Amino acid sequence: MKKYFLFAALLVVVALALAACGGGGGSEGPIKIGALFDLTGPTADVGTPYANGEKGFVEWLNANGGVNGRKVELVGQDYAYKVDQAEQLYSQYVNQDKVVAFLGWGTGDTEALRGKIAQDKIPFMSASYSINLASPNEAPYNFLVGTTYSDQMVIALKWVLEDAQKKGVDPKVVVFHHDSPFGKSPVPDGQKFADENGIAYTNIAMPKGATDLTPQLTQAQDFGVNYVVIQNVSSGAALLLKNAKNLGMTDNVQFICLNWCADELFIKLAEGASDGVLGVMPFTSDFSVPGAQAPKKFLESKGDSLDNQGLHYVQGWWTAAAMVEGIKRTLDAKKDINDGANIKATLEAMKDYSTGDVTAPISFSSTDHRGNDKAKIHQVQGGKWVPITDFMQSRIPLQ
Amino acid sequence: MESGIFHSTYQKDMALRHTPIEKARLALIILFLLVFPFFADNYWLNLANTIGVVAIGAIGLNILTGFTGQISLGQGAFMAVGAYVAALMSIHWGAPMWLTIPAGAISTALIGAIFGIPSLRLKGLYLAIATLAAQEIIIWVITHWDAVTGGVDALNTKNYLWFGGANHYFSEFQFYWIILALAALTTMATVNIFRTRVGRAFIAIRDQDIAAEVMGIDLFKYKMLAFATSSFFVGLTGALIAHWRQIVTWERFTIEVSIFYLAVIIIGGLGSVSGSIYGAIFMVLLPAILNNIGKALSGVIPSMDILIPFVQQAVFGLVIILFLIFEPEGIAKMWKNIRDYFRLWPFSY
Repeated sequence: MKKYFLFAALLVVVALALAACGGGGGSEGPIKIGALFDLTGPTADVGTPYANGEKGFVEWLNANGGVNGRKVELVGQDYAYKVDQAEQLYSQYVNQDKVVAFLGWGTGDTEALRGKIAQDKIPFMSASYSINLASPNEAPYNFLVGTTYSDQMVIALKWVLEDAQKKGVDPKVVVFHHDSPFGKSPVPDGQKFADENGIAYTNIAMPKGATDLTPQLTQAQDFGVNYVVIQNVSSGAALLLKNAKNLGMTDNVQFICLNWCADELFIKLAEGASDGVLGVMPFTSDFSVPGAQAPKKFLESKGDSLDNQGLHYVQGWWTAAAMVEGIKRTLDAKKDINDGANIKATLEAMKDYSTGDVTAPISFSSTDHRGNDKAKIHQVQGGKWVPITDFMQSRIPLQ
Repeated sequence: MESGIFHSTYQKDMALRHTPIEKARLALIILFLLVFPFFADNYWLNLANTIGVVAIGAIGLNILTGFTGQISLGQGAFMAVGAYVAALMSIHWGAPMWLTIPAGAISTALIGAIFGIPSLRLKGLYLAIATLAAQEIIIWVITHWDAVTGGVDALNTKNYLWFGGANHYFSEFQFYWIILALAALTTMATVNIFRTRVGRAFIAIRDQDIAAEVMGIDLFKYKMLAFATSSFFVGLTGALIAHWRQIVTWERFTIEVSIFYLAVIIIGGLGSVSGSIYGAIFMVLLPAILNNIGKALSGVIPSMDILIPFVQQAVFGLVIILFLIFEPEGIAKMWKNIRDYFRLWPFSY
């Protein structure tokens, strides 16, 4: 029986400690922004640098005067890519911490929260660039900083058309995609573009947890593939490339990564099979651009380096920066930021916001929440991503 | 001073509550549940709703695993059946919620009974593998039957109150009452099932199936019935989630969910309705509490910040292990021990 008392006493202590931690708020305190990070879940490999970028930006901003003298507080935690955890944390940050805006992460949680954020009027930016989130009728409070997967796909296919013409071949494209809403998102829009332009096009799902993709690659060979577009994260794409190299496919098939496998991690994991692979990259991996200098210096002051954190750090940094810019402009216009509709209106009026060449300039409108419709094609050359085109553009009609 | 509770009639023996204190406690709980939403903010309402939904699902699983002794690893997939039926009915036919939620539950009961057929020949770990197959098959069908389920894409459930009505947005406060009512009905129905012939047959099968058969219990019929009854409540959970969250994806119903619900009933107490509810409260609140501790601690020692999420997960596992070591029969037994201790004080041995 004594053990129960001990247990009960412990619970009481914890409850009291929690109660003491609550409270706070007020209009002239810090500006609170909610955030979801994946630090321990299945996408933690890319989620961690992205989260570090968001946190780093806020710390850097506060050290440089904050927003009009007010500090910004990022209220964020790991949700391990679990949708119900995301819902719970979101509910707490919005209802108790009174955050005015939200930075999310994956397609699963962003889709799941889409209805809630519209009800609560919380402007939301995440690292999911699914075109479903771009239409203000469907998702009025979602804003996309990156080029949508569908537009990235069209950009990739435009490049394929040019390249096939140069080589004098008939383009036959196979899309290898993650078996999830994230993976499937650009497949139908790619199909449409392919049909209109006479490209032979098919798609093959990469089963979750697969350790060998040779059967799927053989299927693609039977189709007569000469271009492969990959919509998956780095680990899946690296596996595909290694298997393709063993089959001798990398010599006559051009592999193209969309943004979530076009990163430094992919090059590392593919272990030499990555040479010559193309990447459609809305966020540059070139850290000599002006927009990468602040994160670079900030990290160096912490004894870290941007080369260590990689391009997802810059991606997180500038996503947070775009949201904060929307809040700042709302404050400058003397409007109440506690009403999300004001921030939404400000973001919709934002035109050509410069990210210092990390991305193309960002513009939103009240009929289209795609902030960016451009990306540069990069290629892996000698273990590094090197841009081989200027910005290419695609803005397919919203449904 | 009491030395125990003694019954002199069958009626008293069958009563659900034996003492005035138990009746008073029930009244207090009901009062609390009725007053709570008026004082809670949306965060607490969200937690309460989660607990309610998990409790219904856990009671469903407990009927099968705790009372009838048939282990199931297909909980997640059965919830998916209920959720998809409810969501698709609302999207394609504009069916109102009072139709889609029961339909989700009933169709899950049918599917559950079909997947229960192997239980006639299989027991224990072998049945676990057979139900694991159910989990994988159902999720595979959902993600690949694009024409009907929309494949891997998410479905946006519509909440209609009547055919042809407008999509209604429920607040957490409004949904609290729906979930509370259904959770109360589930609890009352289940408690009473185990006062009937059917319920006693379930328990007899769990304790010794051969002896049960010798006594004249039709094993096939009652095992199917146990699968169907259990799946009915599991499907109800799924359908409720579909309407409450207004979004359905297969990612919400993976094998992890099946294991989570097994953990809920093991921690709460196998073969106990109240245990299912205690387990739901515990398993929903523990991560929330750990999140809050993590949040309060972040920034205290900045260099430790990156470790907090990992520590949180380790503590979650540790607490569950400790709980099981302290009281393997779950929170329900723990509560009973505490109650008996005070009732028989100072002579509690």
